[in-house]
Amino acid sequence: MNSESSIHRHTIVVLIAIALATTAMAQEDARPNIVILLADDMGFADLGSFGGEIATPNIDALATAGVRFTNFYTHASCSPTRSLLLSGVDTHLNGLGNMSEWTAPNQRGVPGYEGYLNDRVATLPQLLRGAGYHTYMTGKWHMGKAPDKIPAARGFERDFSLLDGGGNYWDMTNVVAASPRLVFTEDGSYLKSLPPDYYATRTYTDKMIEYIESNREDGKPFFAYVAHQAPHDPYHLPREWRKRHVGEYDKAWDAVRQERLARQIELGIVPEGTELSERMWFVPDPTVLAPASRATLGMKMELYAGMVENMDFHIGRLIEYLKQINEYDNTIFIVFGDNGAEGTDLFAMIAGSPGTLNYLWAAVNWSQTHPNSWGDPGSFVGYGPMWAQVSMTPFSQYKGWLAEGGIRNALIVSGPVSRRSAGSINHSFLHVADIMPTLLEVAAVDYPEALNGQALPPLIGKSWVPLLSGETESPRTDEDWMAWELFGNRALRQGSWKLRWQSRPFGKGDWELFDLAKDVAERHDLARERPEKLAEMTGLWEEYAATNNVILPSRSVYEDLQNTLPTRFPQVPGYPPLIYKGQFVPPPEMMAEPKEGSHP
Amino acid sequence: MKHALSPSRLASGFAFVLCLVPMLASAQVPPRFYWKTLSGANAFPLIYLSVSGNSNPFDPAHVVSDIEFEAEVFMVGYAKVFTLFDRSATVAVLETMGRVTADTRLGGLGAIEQTTGFGDPLVELAIGLLGPPPIKNMPDLLRYEPGFSLDLLVDLVLPIGEYDREAAVNLGQNRWYGRVGFPIVWQLSRWVPGKRTTLELLPSLWLYGDNDDFQGATLETDPMFQVEGHLTRDFGESFWASLDSTLMTGGKSTIQGHVGESLSNLGVGFTMGYQLSENLQMTAGYMASIDDSAPTDLRMDVFKVSLVYGWHKIIEGMGRLGSAE
Repeated sequence: MNSESSIHRHTIVVLIAIALATTAMAQEDARPNIVILLADDMGFADLGSFGGEIATPNIDALATAGVRFTNFYTHASCSPTRSLLLSGVDTHLNGLGNMSEWTAPNQRGVPGYEGYLNDRVATLPQLLRGAGYHTYMTGKWHMGKAPDKIPAARGFERDFSLLDGGGNYWDMTNVVAASPRLVFTEDGSYLKSLPPDYYATRTYTDKMIEYIESNREDGKPFFAYVAHQAPHDPYHLPREWRKRHVGEYDKAWDAVRQERLARQIELGIVPEGTELSERMWFVPDPTVLAPASRATLGMKMELYAGMVENMDFHIGRLIEYLKQINEYDNTIFIVFGDNGAEGTDLFAMIAGSPGTLNYLWAAVNWSQTHPNSWGDPGSFVGYGPMWAQVSMTPFSQYKGWLAEGGIRNALIVSGPVSRRSAGSINHSFLHVADIMPTLLEVAAVDYPEALNGQALPPLIGKSWVPLLSGETESPRTDEDWMAWELFGNRALRQGSWKLRWQSRPFGKGDWELFDLAKDVAERHDLARERPEKLAEMTGLWEEYAATNNVILPSRSVYEDLQNTLPTRFPQVPGYPPLIYKGQFVPPPEMMAEPKEGSHP
Repeated sequence: MKHALSPSRLASGFAFVLCLVPMLASAQVPPRFYWKTLSGANAFPLIYLSVSGNSNPFDPAHVVSDIEFEAEVFMVGYAKVFTLFDRSATVAVLETMGRVTADTRLGGLGAIEQTTGFGDPLVELAIGLLGPPPIKNMPDLLRYEPGFSLDLLVDLVLPIGEYDREAAVNLGQNRWYGRVGFPIVWQLSRWVPGKRTTLELLPSLWLYGDNDDFQGATLETDPMFQVEGHLTRDFGESFWASLDSTLMTGGKSTIQGHVGESLSNLGVGFTMGYQLSENLQMTAGYMASIDDSAPTDLRMDVFKVSLVYGWHKIIEGMGRLGSAE
């Protein structure tokens, strides 16, 4: 498919959309505005309203006014989640069967594995725009860079978009030597340079406000997709935001995880008796670390907290603007993180090998390693697996994996569509693919059977409208299931049961079975105890794989972890005693000075 | 981590010891004098000064218009950083040795007189008043930034150096003297090696006791006010430079009832610093008086070269284990 013909097809779609819009305008227009606030790599437990100590008053205010959902699932990484959000179609059909950065040799050229959002799906902005919505996007796209794949070609009327998966927050410097410049688009044009005073989080917010303002007089509702780059690493942050938690994280990850869990229980996010997942076997016990090590690692978490708080501040600016123009009360807000928190050292993965071009590129552009430079343009700080586990309290593992810590995230929905009690918490099983059918229903738009004469794949999600209106407690029955595959790892959830296959050493290289109702930390593999359940669920998995053209990759980003990580042993507190035993103090009454010896 | 925990941070922190030359007020305190470092750190400074002018460099308040002084001086000492009243503090001692020459042959008369040996030792105590808390441990060191700091400085010179009542010049001064000052460090840029910029000021008041045996007479000196200034800037992670200035006023001397002139002098110069190794830093600089045309003006220029060796037992141990990086 060449770009030209694809653009032609999109033009037709736009014309149809305009025609439909006329009809939709006639309804003018009780339909609410829609704002999706997507945080990149933000963890389940980072928001104050989900037990975090990070100050997120603006997002928390949305939680207070709306509903928090604790069983919401994304995919394990950025672009797959975004593709599910904007297409509602399984990743293996929508083009993100694998990330473009990791397409395996046996997946090359296979439909569904293009590495971008393919043209066999309709997008949420396409359909909403066709139904009379203004459609705006700012932030990270990560689903294709060619002219027919950018936001303007996929339904967004206005956009200011980073097409890459991440990079500098201050300029166009990428981390990878082979593609040294980040690529941005604005309203369909590729940018030669960035606006003056560019800082990603601020600029994305400014642009979105500008877009909404530019059309607000015409009375049409808008769909605003703010895909923040924050708090994805590198943690680039204005200086005034870096020192808000000085020393607070020196107590280290175990203590912060326990504190977050306690607050989660208190808030009702997780039930009493919830167990923390094990500290990952290669993450040190902080009680045996030197203060300097704890401080250094703690400073990374300080910076991350600042990233989240800065993002919350700018989200607050957008909310305030909507209040000022009297649109807040008629706006649905959907807030979530796109996957688990990032525990992998992305910088080391890319630039960690001396002698490579990427190492040279990093030496020139990314070598500000002094802690006081962390947050500056030339620094690259990520907070590591220990803090990623904190962000994902109480779950196991993190981004990239299909453990709960990789795919479960905090979700807040507020606005006129919700009739549930303000500030309430719901524990039903939700999925990011539900958002498309939900918003189509809210906007009174039918999902078409075909697009440009081509049958569209079915939406895999379920609308939340009955749930939000209070008609039901869950959009799914205990028989409904959802499945995942990424990098060869697999998972399926049905009711409270979770089936999981992960490569070693994060998994067993075999199927594992967990009852999340009792074991949200995935500590207790029930595969041997419940063979009948295991067989039932692996059967569902096979059905999923066959239906969705799942091709397990012949190569994987994680294929060598078994050799590079320490051997996995069970984590037992206090082992080995050698490093935990304190100084022996004899009874005082038995203490004595050495006796004087007799010299021969 | 390399920069954060490297011993080089300690060595650069010991740059302060370079400036333990208040006994040579005209040589002024070097830049980056009052940067803080880890409590428990130690330093050995070795300073070489080549001074010439119309005043005994050990007594700049006493201008002698028809004599040329030359001095070749080494200063060695020891400094220790510690915490006092929950503030960062430094105590140091510095001993001077070398030779001072007085050339009185102006107009074809007179002679050259030279003295050699050991001068008066100086004891210094500095304690932070405003600004960052003391650097008690490695986490504090990781987080140190001066921001705006103001210290209290007390110097005291002990009159126990070599002194000859008949000589025109002496290394010892045969009197107590010292000063009270308030060193200020104002951070003007990010606190990252290679990026740091500071404005540093040291207003101080020198106070002099009487020398009651100055060639049989009594030498009295009024208090002298001095303000030193440095604009410093990194030009690499290991290299920095500074524009320096010093202003001195007051310090009028009286010898057996004969009243001299008050000083009112301005000197300007520069300093360059380089980190030779993890423990060793070198500086070199030059300063000269610029408003010295009148016979009674202080006229002096100073070449300075210094080496400071700094160490801390934790840092040294980490280095031995190979984990300092």
